[in-house]
Amino acid sequence: MKAIHVLLVEDNPADADLTRETLEAGKLHIDLSVAIDGEQALQMLKASYAAGTKPDLILLDLNLPRKGGRQILAEIKADENLRHIPVVILTSSDAERDVAQSYTLGANCYITKPVDLRAFQSIVAAVEDFWFGVVKLPVTGHGEPARADP
Amino acid sequence: MGAGRDLYGLRKDGTEFPVEIGLNPAETPQGLMTLSVIIDISERKRAQEALATQTRDLQRSNAELEQFAYVAAHDLQEPLRMVASYTELLSQRYKGKLDEKADKYIHYAVDGAKRMQRLINDLLAYSRVTSQGKPLQPTQSAAVVANVIETMHRRIEETGTEVVCGVLPTVNADQVQLAQLLQNLIGNAIKFRSERSPRIRIDSREQGSEWVFSVTDNGVGIDMQYAERVFQMFQRLHERGKYEGNGIGLAIAKRIVERHHGRIWLESEPGKGTTFYFTLPRLGELPGRRFVARDDAAISSVA
Repeated sequence: MKAIHVLLVEDNPADADLTRETLEAGKLHIDLSVAIDGEQALQMLKASYAAGTKPDLILLDLNLPRKGGRQILAEIKADENLRHIPVVILTSSDAERDVAQSYTLGANCYITKPVDLRAFQSIVAAVEDFWFGVVKLPVTGHGEPARADP
Repeated sequence: MGAGRDLYGLRKDGTEFPVEIGLNPAETPQGLMTLSVIIDISERKRAQEALATQTRDLQRSNAELEQFAYVAAHDLQEPLRMVASYTELLSQRYKGKLDEKADKYIHYAVDGAKRMQRLINDLLAYSRVTSQGKPLQPTQSAAVVANVIETMHRRIEETGTEVVCGVLPTVNADQVQLAQLLQNLIGNAIKFRSERSPRIRIDSREQGSEWVFSVTDNGVGIDMQYAERVFQMFQRLHERGKYEGNGIGLAIAKRIVERHHGRIWLESEPGKGTTFYFTLPRLGELPGRRFVARDDAAISSVA
């Protein structure tokens, strides 16, 4: 069984580390890649597609320098090789407009990063449980569905 | 004459001055003539322009302050989240594993960060009174009160609070803010309760061109020497930790009332209870103006 591969797109290294720490403290074994901006994320995704190691889930911050998160979201969902990968928006904004627009652009779900660490930790645990325990994910490049190690 | 245009007169020495010209028909033995009155309005114009400039300056200053407050509170959130999250992580990872002093330092840091977060949230809420305020519309205050009580019903039940309402009128209000105001006053009445079962009465009466609302409780009361201070930002009358909250609720309440062209004040006796009063203009009334002449076409008003 493959390990679960998650791509985190987050420009703030302190924030990225926080997410990494929280994922590492969880039950599942998750391989986390981090892209520090939208361009790098797209490059990593295209490279991973060629290598057959596409991520099983993308965590995407909206607040990115240069190409914003919304544009990256739109480009991922427009790319026929990438659009099947679930994209979870993980951002600090709770603005109605951001939520609506993200779903319209094809985000699979939208999460507002809570200020409180414990709340953040339970949300990350919930994401793990839901996306790698409850739902079925599409078959990845190796023809084998990613599954959570018990 | 000259409505919408600036008219000027010319003095013998060549200087110009602004004028207002009134033309009236005059019956004379020689027949219908025109009586014209020419008024030098230099002074009036000067005063008008000074007022307009001052208003513009104040508006711009206000807008800048609003933006400052919003940006400050908003942009402080992210670095604060880092401090709060990482001190919490330190606590989770190392509590009990380093020495006692480390535990204490970490605890104070975590606590400080949490309090900063609450302060910033309060500041944002305060600035949102104007930035997110909606236009005032006819609103049934009775319905708003009923909704607020429904929202707070768990706390009301837990504390054994009884809420009684008199007849409440329709007023011009931002429904959301009116609800916030009432929730704040009712919440305070419950929070600052005495050993007696909390009893809250919400009432209203007409007074001239206003409605005077009252929220009366039988709680711990407030020393009247602090009657003005309680409405200031972050002012507390009790030791930190005795009652929860930062002390911004009433500052927000005051801001909401003033946005609605009203006033807010209180009467209280320590040990007996408190009544908060606030006014809202009656529907159709403009605040602070008495009408001396009314007809179908035009209204003259005297401030």
